[in-house]
Amino acid sequence: MLKEYGSRVRLIFKDLPLASHDLARPAHEAARCAGSLGRYWPYHDTLFANQPKFARADLLRYAAEVGLPGDKFAACLDARRFAPEVEADVEQARAIGVRGTPTFVVNGRLVAGALPVEDFRTLIDEALRDRR
Amino acid sequence: MVNGVRSTSARRPRVYTIRILPLVLALAVVRAALGVEMLGDITVEPTMVKGPATAPVTIVEFSDYQ
Repeated sequence: MLKEYGSRVRLIFKDLPLASHDLARPAHEAARCAGSLGRYWPYHDTLFANQPKFARADLLRYAAEVGLPGDKFAACLDARRFAPEVEADVEQARAIGVRGTPTFVVNGRLVAGALPVEDFRTLIDEALRDRR
Repeated sequence: MVNGVRSTSARRPRVYTIRILPLVLALAVVRAALGVEMLGDITVEPTMVKGPATAPVTIVEFSDYQ
């Protein structure tokens, strides 16, 4: 859908691993490691395509699949280099009243839960009209 | 040179400027590289963004991979 709107829409992804999902936090940290090595979105897409298989060996395999250098990625993951950044996202979510996932903020408007594509299109169209 | 004594006082500001200039430039580069965009109370990590900053609509997605 982002392709459909082209340069009129910007998407910002924020980490919100739920406490009840024990493998989520390492996956979010792994994605940020991938980002630091220049492959955030391919890794991000691979995680969603393979959920919930997020054991360490899985995370390392996905890194290899998207062309990341295994040694650097493993070092980043094992050092939990991006744990503070992921935690900061969780705190920010809490601060603005986000309670579950997915939650979207469309031009400042909070929308909780997964929406059908048509509803999302309506939201974006409304936001575009409001900007005119 | 004044009476055979070299005066350095007049040059000090220039030396200081030359020394600090690379530092100022380096700091500017580091700040630009580490500059954190804020969207209200939300920080924006550049690698986790799709689409231009000039887009009229910004969607922030809080999600859980699991």
